[in-house]
Amino acid sequence: MSQDKTRDERPEGATAPEGTTFSRRHFLTSIGIAAGVVAAGVVPAALMAPSASAEDATPTAGAAPSVPGGSTDPLAEIIAADGPVNYPGHPVHYAKPAGKEKWAMVIDVKACVGCRKCVYACVEENNIGRTSGFTYIQVLEMEPGKIDLESAVLDYDEAGRPDKWYFPVQCMHCAHPPCVYGCPVQATWKEPDGIVVIDYNKCIGCRNCMITCPYGARHFNWVRPEVPAAEINPKVPLGEKAWTAEKCTFCVQRTRNGQTTACVEACPTGARKFGDLNDPNSDVAILLKTRRVWRLKEEYSTEPMIWYVG
Amino acid sequence: MTMTELSTPQPGIKRFIKIDWNIGALKTASPRYWSFVWMLIIMTTLGVLAWVVVLTTGGNAMGQRDNFTWGMWFADYMFYVGLAAGGLVVYASVHLFGAEQFRPLSRLAVLMAGLLTMVALLGDLTDLVRVWRIFWFVVTPNISAIFVYTGSAAGFYMVLCFVDLWILVTGVGGEKLAFRMTLIALPVAIYLHTTTAFVLALNKSRELWNSAVMVPIFLTSAVASGVALLLICAYILQHYHVLEFKKSMFRSLATLLATVIIMDLFLLVVEIATVYWPTAAKAGHTLRFSEFLTGPYAWQFLPVLTLGIIAFALLAGRKTRHIPAVQITASALYVIAIFFKRYTLMSMGFAIGPLGQTQNPYIPSLVEALIAIGLLSMGMLFFTIATKILPLRVPLEEHAAASERADAASEPTLEPGVAL
Repeated sequence: MSQDKTRDERPEGATAPEGTTFSRRHFLTSIGIAAGVVAAGVVPAALMAPSASAEDATPTAGAAPSVPGGSTDPLAEIIAADGPVNYPGHPVHYAKPAGKEKWAMVIDVKACVGCRKCVYACVEENNIGRTSGFTYIQVLEMEPGKIDLESAVLDYDEAGRPDKWYFPVQCMHCAHPPCVYGCPVQATWKEPDGIVVIDYNKCIGCRNCMITCPYGARHFNWVRPEVPAAEINPKVPLGEKAWTAEKCTFCVQRTRNGQTTACVEACPTGARKFGDLNDPNSDVAILLKTRRVWRLKEEYSTEPMIWYVG
Repeated sequence: MTMTELSTPQPGIKRFIKIDWNIGALKTASPRYWSFVWMLIIMTTLGVLAWVVVLTTGGNAMGQRDNFTWGMWFADYMFYVGLAAGGLVVYASVHLFGAEQFRPLSRLAVLMAGLLTMVALLGDLTDLVRVWRIFWFVVTPNISAIFVYTGSAAGFYMVLCFVDLWILVTGVGGEKLAFRMTLIALPVAIYLHTTTAFVLALNKSRELWNSAVMVPIFLTSAVASGVALLLICAYILQHYHVLEFKKSMFRSLATLLATVIIMDLFLLVVEIATVYWPTAAKAGHTLRFSEFLTGPYAWQFLPVLTLGIIAFALLAGRKTRHIPAVQITASALYVIAIFFKRYTLMSMGFAIGPLGQTQNPYIPSLVEALIAIGLLSMGMLFFTIATKILPLRVPLEEHAAASERADAASEPTLEPGVAL
């Protein structure tokens, strides 16, 4: 190896050759490069962080007008925040294009008896593999007096116990969906009507969306989903879901055809209400305006589109 | 052996891409060497077969489930990426901080960094059942997904290490280029570890991961385990007369290791204090962490503390630090401790799920274990062959030249022909 090439001209009085010892200039250069590289990662993250001002500045077509007197209609803010995220410009291949609606759900936990009829209806409607080991809706049996998820029971046997209360959880179709932010290949996105969908033909199966979701709403098809031939819903994908993540779609195949979701239809107590927030006469719009509603893990700023009341 | 002319290449040496590959050394290798190589080939093949099982039968062959979303591959990814750091820190300190005592290690260090990153990346790929869809990473990358940053950083870092190795082995560009490569490689290494830590830390959905201290703790764990592995490999290669090192080099390495271990343990204690301090404790956090201190996950976490403390104690004593057996034992203990740490970190995201449900500890399935062992064997196979055929020994004249230059620098530089 030729060492002569490494000999540089250096200023008179220099005490060390360039390249072999630590010098302040080189140290600063390396720190500068490191800072630059780190900043390259941090700056886009800062720019992408959801901010209230950005949402306010981009109201959707369906936003409700401001209330005279300076205060804003609470629904207008919610609707404005619920815009498309990573939307590729066309609906997911198994759904019709989104309309002008902004879909939302309200669940009355006082009325829920934990019968899991919503769970079964959802499994049948959405071609969930019968041996896949998951359901879109998970109903938690809770102790009265508090929301204590760590003490909640998921696999309870007896429904309707008067000393318990029941808490159904599913995909919240968040206005700021961590799952969509976390998908490395944009295989999942939020459509203009607020429904978070997954393109099963694009999902690489990395399961990062399941990591980022604070509601345990996403599930992975570890096995090829199997549904008896007579029970297959032809409007919902089946085989292509193998080895991809899936979750509640607010029954996109029904709701974009003027129907309600399967879970709402199946609920024997009417605990579930689904509708369009742009329609002031819808159940959900009325409930949000008139009742004390709350959302799960509100402090996470995911802005879920499912509210609880009770 | 007959005498050969100076211009004739040595028999068995093939020159390709400016590197003298000593293929002849393989022919004269001992049967013990070959039996080790064949064992690695068999284990690599078993790993490939296990991966074929996953590709044909789907993810069901793996032990991961909805509640344990990631498993062995992720623990390994963190582990290998971390180990790769040690090499680079040592290599960088030669060129950036003038740590001449580490110069004989530089080629070995860069080779290890490249191979470990390669194994880490392959572990990531073998987890994907539909691995061919990975092209979407390039076509439609999502800039808010941290995977895009860590994946590309690992890929770039691996290529950088191999290019760097080529530069060091061929001497192309001399000391100046080697120095400039360090200026690129060091920030990229920090970037890789930062983004790997971010894969965990940037999830508000996983309480025990969602901590900013995850980034510095990743850097210290990475450097500590990497230096420890480098020390072990250096001893092994010295034992087999592949490379030779001074005792003082091992002492410097052991001192560096002890320093980083105590920083690593300190950060861990800081994190635990934040979880349990009464004014900071949140029920969700303490409940989850208790699973690892006293619950069913304690077998994963307690070795991190105990092995780490023992390793530091061994290296802390000035009188014992220079003893090779002590150095090797402490290094091995810390590499094992960091493996447990990676496994624990992986489990911390899943022990209690986002809906509060407690999960049984995850144990990799046979298929996952075979893939992991196969990948490790493949890395070791490449390493074993590289140590035989690649000129990893830093020429004495290069080492001497560096010291010479340091002396020469104190003298005034004169133009040729200028008389004093």
